[in-house]
Amino acid sequence: MSAVPMARVTLRNLAAHKIRLVLTAVAVILGVAFVAGTLVFTDTMNKRFDDLFNRIGTNVAVDVRSVKVVDSGNDGEARPPVPQAVLAKLRTVDGVKDPVGTVDGYAALVGRNGKVVGSAQNGPPQLGTNWTGDGIARLATGRAPQAAGEVVIDKASAKKAGYNLGDAVTVLVKSGPQHATLVGTADIGDMMGATLVAFDTTTAQKLLLKPGYYSEIRMGSTGADEATLRDRVAKVLPSGTEAVTGAKLRDENKSQVASFMSFFRTFLLVFALISIFVGAFIIFNTFSMLVAQRTRELALLRAIGAARSQVTRAVIGEAVAVGFVGSTLGLLAGVGLAELLQSTTGSGGSLTFTVTPVIWSYTVGIVVTVVSAYFPARRAAKVPPVAAMRDDVALPQRSMRIRLALGSLLTLAGAALMGLGLFGHVSNPAVPVGAGAFAVFLGVALLAPVISKPAVRVLGWPFARLLRTPGRLARQNALRNPRRTAATASALMIGLALITAVNVLGSSMRSSVESQVDKQFGADYVIEPNGAGGLSPELVAKVKKTDGVTAAGAVYSGSAKVSGKRVSYSAGDTAELLSGTRAKFVSGSQTLPRDGMFVDEDTAKHNSWTVGSSVPLLFPDGKTETLKIAGIYAKNQFLGGRVINEGAYLAHTADPSVEVIIVNAKKAGAETKHALEQTLSARPDVKVQDQATLKADARKQIDGFVSFLTILLVMSVIIAAVGVINTLALSVIERTREIGLLRAIGISRRQLRRMIRAESVVIAVFGAVLGIGIGVAFGAALQHALRKQGLNVLSVPVGTLITYLVVAAVIGVLAALWPAWRAGRMDVLKAISTE
Amino acid sequence: MTDSARSTTDAAPAPGAGDFAARSQRISKVYGSGDARVIALDGVTVGIPRGRFTAVMGPSGSGKSTLMHCMAGLDSVTDGEVFIGDTNLTRLKDKALTRLRRDKIGFIFQAFNLVPTLTALENITLPMDIAGRRPDPEWLDRVVDTVGLRPRLKHRPSELSGGQQQRVACARALASRPEIIFADEPTGNLDSRSGAEVLEFLRSSVREMGQTIVMVTHDPSAAAYADQVLFLTDGQIVDTMAQPTAERVLERMKGFELPGVSAR
Repeated sequence: MSAVPMARVTLRNLAAHKIRLVLTAVAVILGVAFVAGTLVFTDTMNKRFDDLFNRIGTNVAVDVRSVKVVDSGNDGEARPPVPQAVLAKLRTVDGVKDPVGTVDGYAALVGRNGKVVGSAQNGPPQLGTNWTGDGIARLATGRAPQAAGEVVIDKASAKKAGYNLGDAVTVLVKSGPQHATLVGTADIGDMMGATLVAFDTTTAQKLLLKPGYYSEIRMGSTGADEATLRDRVAKVLPSGTEAVTGAKLRDENKSQVASFMSFFRTFLLVFALISIFVGAFIIFNTFSMLVAQRTRELALLRAIGAARSQVTRAVIGEAVAVGFVGSTLGLLAGVGLAELLQSTTGSGGSLTFTVTPVIWSYTVGIVVTVVSAYFPARRAAKVPPVAAMRDDVALPQRSMRIRLALGSLLTLAGAALMGLGLFGHVSNPAVPVGAGAFAVFLGVALLAPVISKPAVRVLGWPFARLLRTPGRLARQNALRNPRRTAATASALMIGLALITAVNVLGSSMRSSVESQVDKQFGADYVIEPNGAGGLSPELVAKVKKTDGVTAAGAVYSGSAKVSGKRVSYSAGDTAELLSGTRAKFVSGSQTLPRDGMFVDEDTAKHNSWTVGSSVPLLFPDGKTETLKIAGIYAKNQFLGGRVINEGAYLAHTADPSVEVIIVNAKKAGAETKHALEQTLSARPDVKVQDQATLKADARKQIDGFVSFLTILLVMSVIIAAVGVINTLALSVIERTREIGLLRAIGISRRQLRRMIRAESVVIAVFGAVLGIGIGVAFGAALQHALRKQGLNVLSVPVGTLITYLVVAAVIGVLAALWPAWRAGRMDVLKAISTE
Repeated sequence: MTDSARSTTDAAPAPGAGDFAARSQRISKVYGSGDARVIALDGVTVGIPRGRFTAVMGPSGSGKSTLMHCMAGLDSVTDGEVFIGDTNLTRLKDKALTRLRRDKIGFIFQAFNLVPTLTALENITLPMDIAGRRPDPEWLDRVVDTVGLRPRLKHRPSELSGGQQQRVACARALASRPEIIFADEPTGNLDSRSGAEVLEFLRSSVREMGQTIVMVTHDPSAAAYADQVLFLTDGQIVDTMAQPTAERVLERMKGFELPGVSAR
């Protein structure tokens, strides 16, 4: 036989089983759509950021800024400001064209409704700047701000806030609300949700930075190239400042975003990979069933002379076709998904298409399908030709013993790998943990047929009791082919295991935070900024004067370098800080002199410091000061690892910013809280927190994180549900005669549907039980690994997990709808007639 | 012509006649339309006498299986009426029809008679289990002993021989004491010894337990076990024979054979 007739067999088979083809392809489509959607979406985001940063730095030849002494690596902090005097010096350098000092800082716009425009936490930045007349902003209407009390706002934000030219607007800066007149609006193109408020330079310095200082100084060139000009500029700069070329500035901006975007892309792709992994189970299972059902046909092909390899190729050919169709549709669905994501992020714009998503979609779709179909194809080739002549043929089944050994081995090896990643000292723990989890899933999937027998017996028991005969038949059907039941359940297991692990982790985080708040939060209230802006010392004074307040202390946080490594510290009113965080001292004194430092036990142990040790700190202003350890306290989540004197912090910080204000009251209660809120009424970007709201805030944040991950994992559950449909539909086809017999001897359509539904529910719940079991174990292991990072309480959300079991049962019911309907509609006569 | 079955030309038995377990009144079954139109049954009127073993014989394509399917409520008729006892099947919806099959009719098919996941005993009691009825233990014991399966009750179908499987199917059909049992080529897949066992058993259940059985077959020696034989050709009952023997049936069958159609 040549390849042509075999190809014909392949194509005819595909055409004859359109529904099977579609169901198998659905698994491929969903997985590929996830991959393609992620790639197209992140490509689009990358392009938009690139465009934004290209616009920002277009006219800059050289940029002068202060040297970052304490480099955090992720650029979390602003550089210290540059003195204004530098600008005059730059004007004298040959080749420098229009040097402009820029001022950047926090300025949030309050809309007509009294609410801050733009999202508060972790959202796009709320930028304040000085109007320089160049750069990316062009006046759209009105004029530039010329004096205090005048502002220009970007066009989009002005519209969102509901302001027109000439309106009185409120802008929140660190020191408090500022009232100004809107004199102009600016056109700045796609800012991806950020807001921009521009003042005249003097006002900007006063409100956003420090009078007499710039954030940086930018300049063009009269002709010299960027590098030459940079070298010339560098010669006149005072120490502590540096000059960089415009090209470097643009690259830095881009690479920051690029590294974030690449993290984001990898993150999403991991979830896409999980979906594909689940899809592989479905494809494997479907092809196994197709081969089993076609045993006689395959044997006939062998009997009339097809070689083993030809039979294998015929099956693989089908897989390639399914993979191709699935990838094509998946790619299209992925583009739709990206479009949807794009529109939910708020800003429109068209998608960016590169060839990458296309290549990856086809590669992933076809490779996964072919690899998953390979083992069934191999089995197909082992069908003996004589099977064509026999009545009841079964494929040779390999012994369960090999499975048991291989499954146990994989599970144990996977668990060991995870243990190594979590508890060993590995540079990139995500890799062994991920690979370990993968191995555990494969191992348990291999073991699942063995586990399924007792498990299905137990899970099917209520159905056998409630539904009697149909229930008993359902249970027997689920037991009938343990491999099939197990593969179907395993697909569901993976998604549910990961969702469970995330929930256990989230629940543990909640409990840990709550216990920390209970144990370590000693103040009556804390006042903290709602967004990116800090608080001013004046606000502390105002809070102190509020009715019922007995004490209020500012807490700052900053960073410094200790023996070459960046560390962070808290500073502030020591007494308030220690009582507010219920710090427990293990040695030393509780008074902190100007040259003293407190550290926690872990930090002390790690550095072998004791009370009295001298520690040199390099501060962001470039100066080094040696501090003496005055006291050592027990680990405290709110205090962090180090505390230094307020004086030391202020001496080395050009633009101090209060992180939180710790407040104690005569009588903590609704009255005092109300009074505090009254004091802060002009600051919608600041909030008062007590124990309850702190807990609620943490809960809200954790819940958001849990829901986000759960949504990403739901795709794999959907794919698994398709797998359940697939298995049942194929089982119904396979059991046509049996169903016909049952109908003939008097089973009603309703009883038949119940039987199939019960089988489906048993399989789904079996998968859920496996998944939840593994998920709890994974979650507990993660919690244990992170206990030193503050995740010290393990909490299993039993209620949520029970809900997931119920959801799995519902998935079972829904997955059975179509196969059950089909079985009920089956023609009894056709089913029982011999051939 | 005998008293127990009449050809289409004779007067039909009066409705409600108590001596028939099942009867049909001028039933027709037509498949397809236009050029593809096939008349499987052409106005058949027949009564199946209670407590007797009736065989239906005919060459391939004579409509014998269709007749059985229509009388057993597995297939609908194009025209005419079918009664099981006093119940008119042609007026029943699927639900009532299913219940009737479950409670009043027993089936024995040529193959795929048993549910592979159930033991022999579970298969035997399946119709009653579906109905939620308890089997009469004494009767069940008697049935099990008659088919001689007591040592094999816990076995799955795959662990039984073909003959044993058919005996389980017979036991299942008998266990619920149905009004009538329809057997469709019950020995078609068996060797002659096993086939004889099954036929012997069917005959004895009629003689000793008073069961009514209709068996479709194309094997004259199988038909010889029956009390009477109905001959079907081209969708019509053409003859009946009481107290048949294999030789007489074979002789009679030869007379129907059309050129090119074999009765095997």
